Amino acid sequence: MTRIAACDCGKLRAVCEGEPVRVSVCHCLECQKRTGSVFGVSARYPKDKVRAEGPSRRYSRVADSGFKVTFDFCPTCGTTVHWHLDQFPDVTAVAVGAFADRDFPAPAFSVSERRRHSWVAVAGDAVQHKE
Amino acid sequence: MTARTATCACGRLRVACEGEPARVSVCHCHACQRRTGSVFGVAARYPREKVAIEGEATEYVRIGDEGNEVRFRFCPTCGSTVCWEMPAFNDGIAVAVGGFADPGYTPHPVRSIYDASRRHAWVDIKVPVERRG
Repeated sequence: MTRIAACDCGKLRAVCEGEPVRVSVCHCLECQKRTGSVFGVSARYPKDKVRAEGPSRRYSRVADSGFKVTFDFCPTCGTTVHWHLDQFPDVTAVAVGAFADRDFPAPAFSVSERRRHSWVAVAGDAVQHKE
Repeated sequence: MTARTATCACGRLRVACEGEPARVSVCHCHACQRRTGSVFGVAARYPREKVAIEGEATEYVRIGDEGNEVRFRFCPTCGSTVCWEMPAFNDGIAVAVGGFADPGYTPHPVRSIYDASRRHAWVDIKVPVERRG
């Protein structure tokens, strides 16, 4: 299966082959600021299964883990579509919202729950919740 | 009076807000999903005169479903959209709630828009909200 994640204006795209290896929600404050929502949602794919198209600008920061994370966002509309984690060099993380598909596989992990806004939760019997 | 500041991920774009928002709402529309990369957006609407925008911003204009213009401001360094306006409505300025980086932020949302048609089923909104569309 091929799915395409795209920014709001459509100029930056990530073409993803096959199924993601991990879908997770992160409530950390950095994900809150980056998204403007109250959590981020990422789908990790093997790096060779994701092809980026269109111009992007890069922003890097050092994660809590001490490893660098590099985000690719659209210079026209600001949407971050995908990013790379130095900690996991063989994967590309793709922003689940950019698929604009409510049937996209649901998350199996919900992390940094100590930062979760109390009015929203990640439902699902199989979801692993981590503080 | 409460004073709170929303910022982008890198901290260069800041939106200082005084007092309480008129309304907080969640929107599950596809444009909010794409823009945030999360599966919904969360907006706190403040009166325009209670908001001060500091730092460099890039403007992105989108025409909404009903033909109205929405003007977003995002940080050119890190990409975070921190606030936006719909000039056709005299409805204040919307600030991205995530930008406050405060899990205790109140008030909680009172509306959930595109809830029936676009909400990812695993998103569990635990407070009473007016659900639309």
